[in-house]
Amino acid sequence: MIHRRNVLKSAAALGILGVAPGGLVRSAGAQNRPFTFCSWGGSLSETEKKAFMDPFSEANAVEILNVSPISYAKVKAMVEAKAVEWDLVDVGGQFIYQGRDAGVLEPIDYSIVKADHLEPYWKTEYGVYTSTGASVLAFNTQAFPEGKEPQGWADFWNVKDFPGARSLYGRLYYNYEAALRAAGVAANEIYPATDEKVKMAMAKIAELKPNITVWWTSGAQAPQLLSTGEVTMALAWSGRINDAMREGSPVSMTFRDAIAWGNAFVVPKGTPYRELAMQVIGYAITQEAQERLVPIGTYGPVLGTAAATASPEQAKFMVTHPDNTKVEVIFNDEEVAKYWSKWEEEWQKFMLS
Amino acid sequence: MILAGTASPPPAAARSQRAARAVMTAALLLPATLFLAGWFLWPLGQLLVLSLSSPEGPTAAYRALAESEVFRSVFVNTLLLAVVVTVICTLLAYPAAWLLTRVRGFWFSVALYCVLLPFWISILVRTFSWMLLLERNGPVNNLLMAVGATHQPLRLLFNQFSVHVGMVHVLLPYAILPIYASMLKVDRRLLLASDGLGASSRTTFLRVFLPLTMPGVMAGAAFVFLLALGFFITPALLGGPQNLTAAMLIDSFVNERLVWPMAAAASFILLLMVLAVLLLTSRFVAIGSVMVMK
Repeated sequence: MIHRRNVLKSAAALGILGVAPGGLVRSAGAQNRPFTFCSWGGSLSETEKKAFMDPFSEANAVEILNVSPISYAKVKAMVEAKAVEWDLVDVGGQFIYQGRDAGVLEPIDYSIVKADHLEPYWKTEYGVYTSTGASVLAFNTQAFPEGKEPQGWADFWNVKDFPGARSLYGRLYYNYEAALRAAGVAANEIYPATDEKVKMAMAKIAELKPNITVWWTSGAQAPQLLSTGEVTMALAWSGRINDAMREGSPVSMTFRDAIAWGNAFVVPKGTPYRELAMQVIGYAITQEAQERLVPIGTYGPVLGTAAATASPEQAKFMVTHPDNTKVEVIFNDEEVAKYWSKWEEEWQKFMLS
Repeated sequence: MILAGTASPPPAAARSQRAARAVMTAALLLPATLFLAGWFLWPLGQLLVLSLSSPEGPTAAYRALAESEVFRSVFVNTLLLAVVVTVICTLLAYPAAWLLTRVRGFWFSVALYCVLLPFWISILVRTFSWMLLLERNGPVNNLLMAVGATHQPLRLLFNQFSVHVGMVHVLLPYAILPIYASMLKVDRRLLLASDGLGASSRTTFLRVFLPLTMPGVMAGAAFVFLLALGFFITPALLGGPQNLTAAMLIDSFVNERLVWPMAAAASFILLLMVLAVLLLTSRFVAIGSVMVMK
């Protein structure tokens, strides 16, 4: 008789599952540790600490421990070992659905999380989006000076008029959306992701493949590749490009055709701080907390009313600003989770060829 | 057997002495055995159980891997990469190790530290350094362009080339050190004897020195090969998508797709490959004589 939980405990003890051997299985006594929030690190973690965690902690006299980086495998391991160490986790939106299907998430308690003022696509059964970013077309400003910048994914695919090496993300998602826009599919027709559309996107990506010299996998790569001139254009995360621009790197981006997504908060199943986690989520989407994201300027608010407080300069690179929402694609995490799991093998084959 | 049968039984004192020594040996081995059992064998067994725990049935993970074209080509690629890196490392390490045995004093220290210093620096740091060196506008390309070897920057990064450079750099000391150790053990008088018997230096090298240092070469090559099979960071950072290795695939099973039985099954297949290589190597040379014992 194999006890799945024991198997997982020991598997977690192995370094291979990303859990340090020392971390075996500690009992998750709520008394032993403060409320813990885990995010991706870097500027996102800093933003969330400043805008959400510190103010909440002060106002409610609750200690909040901010840790990083998040690992989906670790969430699964700690939930299945009944030793939850993270009470609130920032994830990519697809994990709302992946985590739901794996049974490792608490449903969002909308009696505690007051979310009536939030657009429907930012609140779901198992996760709430609390900040926004986008996968944008970013470019080296020396290769494309003012007036000659690429204007969208069609230009990204146009190697004649916009020469130079490109970089895309190492997975199908984002590229699927960008490729379909380049192929002329309207922003509101990208989803649902039918097999025909996925095939069409992959064919479009195959067409550009000889010009793609780097398929990046971590967010810091794209701005680095652009600023050194390794590539002239890249699909990149807006927050990272924002940071690079502020550091004076010769990079810029356009929000035309941007693929807008959110950072989602989810709650691991079995946390001893379930209610507190819901309260923090509720706080993060208040007008007050959301407005704090504006001056920090790395990731935008999910609330349109908070985005409206931005200066024209700040608004230029804000996903939820009305000027940008008109030209964006809203990333559909549920669709993405579906097409990615169905097409991943095909994608890897394509990458290896 | 006949001899043992006819030998007189040992006196009681010798017997108790032998027993005491056996107890002593067991006591000395116990901590390591317990450690290995608890922290290696037991989790390994659990990993095996996990690999058989697919919801679709015990062998489902192995079947899925066997049927996956991606998995097969990734394993073949990983194997090929490890072989090529091993060959390059061994060929580079042999003369380097020989040089280490020839130089003395100050230059010996310099040479030794040239081998050891990189060995001590974090693999991540070394891999990132290669990224800086090999990038499009990096020093290597600038040099090549300055001397007129090329007119436009070469693509040195994110391909087969950079993966090999990075891995050879990281793994080279693992080949040099065992070869150096085996060279030190060669009795110089044998070389003189060969010389005195009229052999050319080429013959002396091929028929005396090389065979005597072969255990070190095999041990170094086995070291490099086994480590190369499980390489992750270097190909992940320096390679392109076509350089996906088995370790990277296992990582994606664990961290992204959350299909742990598949990850465990793939790990076991990798482990079996490693054991096969060890077995094969041990047919040619007692690896223990160079790596562990004596």
